Amino acid sequence: MNSRIEYWVKIPIGPIHPALEEPEKFIITLDGERIINVDVKLGYNLRGLEWIAMRRNYIQLMYLAERICGICSFSHNHTYTRAVEEMAGIEVPERAEYIRVIVGELERIHSHLLNLGVIGHAIGYDTVLHLSWLARERVMDILEAIGGNRVNYAMNTIGGVRRDIEEKHRRAILDMIAYYKNEIMPKIEEIFLYDPTVEARLRDAGVIPKRIAIEYSAQGPTARGSGVKKDVRYNERLGVYPDLGVKPVTPKEFTGVIKGDVFDRMVVRVGELWQSMELIERAFDQMPGGKIKAFAKDNLILPKLKKADGEGIGRYEAPRGEVIHYVRANPGKDIPSKWKAREPTFPNLFAVARALVGEQLADVPVAIASIDPCLSCTDRVAVVDARTGKRGILTEKDLLRASIEKTREINPEVSARPEVVGVSCPRGDLL
Amino acid sequence: MNLLYATLGLIGLYIYVSFASLLWEGLDRKLVARMQRRIGPPLLQPFYDFLKLVSKESIIPRHAGRMFELAPVFALAVSIALLAYTPFGFAPLFNTRGDVIVFIYLLTLIAFIRVLGAVNSGSPYAQIGAQREIIILVSREVPMMLGLFAILWRLSKLGVSKPFSLGTFYEHNIWEIGTPLTFMGAVILLFVFLAWLASEIEVGYFNIPEAEEEIAEGPMAEYSGRHLALFKLSNALKEFISASLVVAIFFPWGISGVLGLTGAGAVVADLLFHTLKVYAVLFVSMSVFRAITGRLRITQAVQVFWLRMLPAAVIGVLLILIDLMEVIA
Repeated sequence: MNSRIEYWVKIPIGPIHPALEEPEKFIITLDGERIINVDVKLGYNLRGLEWIAMRRNYIQLMYLAERICGICSFSHNHTYTRAVEEMAGIEVPERAEYIRVIVGELERIHSHLLNLGVIGHAIGYDTVLHLSWLARERVMDILEAIGGNRVNYAMNTIGGVRRDIEEKHRRAILDMIAYYKNEIMPKIEEIFLYDPTVEARLRDAGVIPKRIAIEYSAQGPTARGSGVKKDVRYNERLGVYPDLGVKPVTPKEFTGVIKGDVFDRMVVRVGELWQSMELIERAFDQMPGGKIKAFAKDNLILPKLKKADGEGIGRYEAPRGEVIHYVRANPGKDIPSKWKAREPTFPNLFAVARALVGEQLADVPVAIASIDPCLSCTDRVAVVDARTGKRGILTEKDLLRASIEKTREINPEVSARPEVVGVSCPRGDLL
Repeated sequence: MNLLYATLGLIGLYIYVSFASLLWEGLDRKLVARMQRRIGPPLLQPFYDFLKLVSKESIIPRHAGRMFELAPVFALAVSIALLAYTPFGFAPLFNTRGDVIVFIYLLTLIAFIRVLGAVNSGSPYAQIGAQREIIILVSREVPMMLGLFAILWRLSKLGVSKPFSLGTFYEHNIWEIGTPLTFMGAVILLFVFLAWLASEIEVGYFNIPEAEEEIAEGPMAEYSGRHLALFKLSNALKEFISASLVVAIFFPWGISGVLGLTGAGAVVADLLFHTLKVYAVLFVSMSVFRAITGRLRITQAVQVFWLRMLPAAVIGVLLILIDLMEVIA
């Protein structure tokens, strides 16, 4: 072992690197091309959102939640409103739930098309990137037509949605679905299921076995690609999703095998594109008429929430995995005493870092891109000691240790033994 | 006096090929952009890039060695020297017997100089890029040399003035033998050469040493300014020269005979026609190839050469050999 150490090279992937869309850092120890160790450092994209949230009221927080991330802007917004609705016991009209399904699935289509293109770019297959992003423009146009914006469509409000989906929107969406089903999906399937280059690069790269996926609590397509049937829309019977017949998509239905590699994660995404389009069609068939908001006027929301007491948890299956928002009321005030979001990239990142050990350097960009990391969602925790003024950013190591301790405390019989990966971020000391 | 003309010719060729190869880079970027439904950069973008890079300061890393600064100069010098041994629609300027060895030597030397510069830059990305460059170099040259020497040997049997020189192709070519076995062998070798060309210019499957998303341009990671400009130019020259080899072996026909030109006019017409053929070969082996494929892992690329291309080259060479020995009537 010692005689080989001199050949080991440590290379940093990040914080700024062509393979990454957002700042994060992976320190990779290499023996030739083989990866010996992966060290994850987070905290480069910390914007202090929870600190900002301490001086925003419930309505303003909705727009802050929307701006956590550029891709799943609807998901964060939706999850936050669900948490507040649970906290205050607000009933959402059924039509509003259907509209949420439609916009949420449109967002899933655009997020998955984006990620498919990013994967193409990560293996140097730029044609896939340009063509799939060209196809994505169509759904972006639809989202702009419905919400007025390409990215932050601000559809949700507490107790419903802000805009109705009208007949012209319905026609445009159904046109878009026909276009995707006839012209785009055959090409996407040809590339991601049958293309030899893609298969050569994605098969057996970044394998996350089912055991690791469960132990590291991987979420979304990352978990489903490893064969874990985990989908909040299905497991938690979220909203009207059970009426629409949603089922977790696993690669078994497409290729017959589950290996948990990058290829399988992409197969799940292709399957979910089909699923989202079917869900939208079914939602249009079943959508009842009626109100779209629980409150007739928006200025009634805050007085109602001021009276609320208790806490609420919102869960939603964002394109990248399960998002959880936690809101605790502050009776008599229009500002929540606590708002906390947990996004899917955090567990996925460590699952994929673990999966990379023993693989080749060439797999790093594609494996990282395959979980569709969203670091602007992930980097949110800074801890300031009010007495001493000492600041520190809690990172994966601290949080993982804390969560392991908490899990042990709640359930001493838990058998999984997650390892602590990486060290805490050096920037925490510099702040 | 003869040497003086040859030197002047080399300078002329250098200017012409620099222009033609940078123009091809612009064409390639535009063509690939159109294949990807993009608009793409202006046709003259490589010229703008080159001129801008030349005028920028060059940042030398603190840990860089001496070779870091010398490597771009050497690479360009070797590329220019290589021009004297490259067939451009007419026999190479310094055409002698056995000059194919000099040609291969110089072509490989450019890659070695890139590796030397990368290793001396002190960057871990460049180190890994250099490793990959060497690994792919030793894999790709074997099938290419096997095919090249076999074809030259076969042509020397037809009676040429300077055996094993690249001028041979303008006296005889592999197609004029005309027997089915030789024809099949030549077609197989053409495929081997197109794959070799793609890996020589590092596109598509073989964009491994410079993998942008993995190791941030590999050997070029630390270069900037003038040094990068020299490397860019020498890479463009190398692309043109490598494609010229494929064109000379498989498509050597000139146009001057058809047009009835002689003297300097014939040389210019052949050079222009050769440039068009080089563009056509590069279009297949570079533009289309890079638009329809992604990058392989280094292990897979090595397997492509040792397990696919080398057996293919051996079969092609055996077909030519069997035909010559007239074992099968």
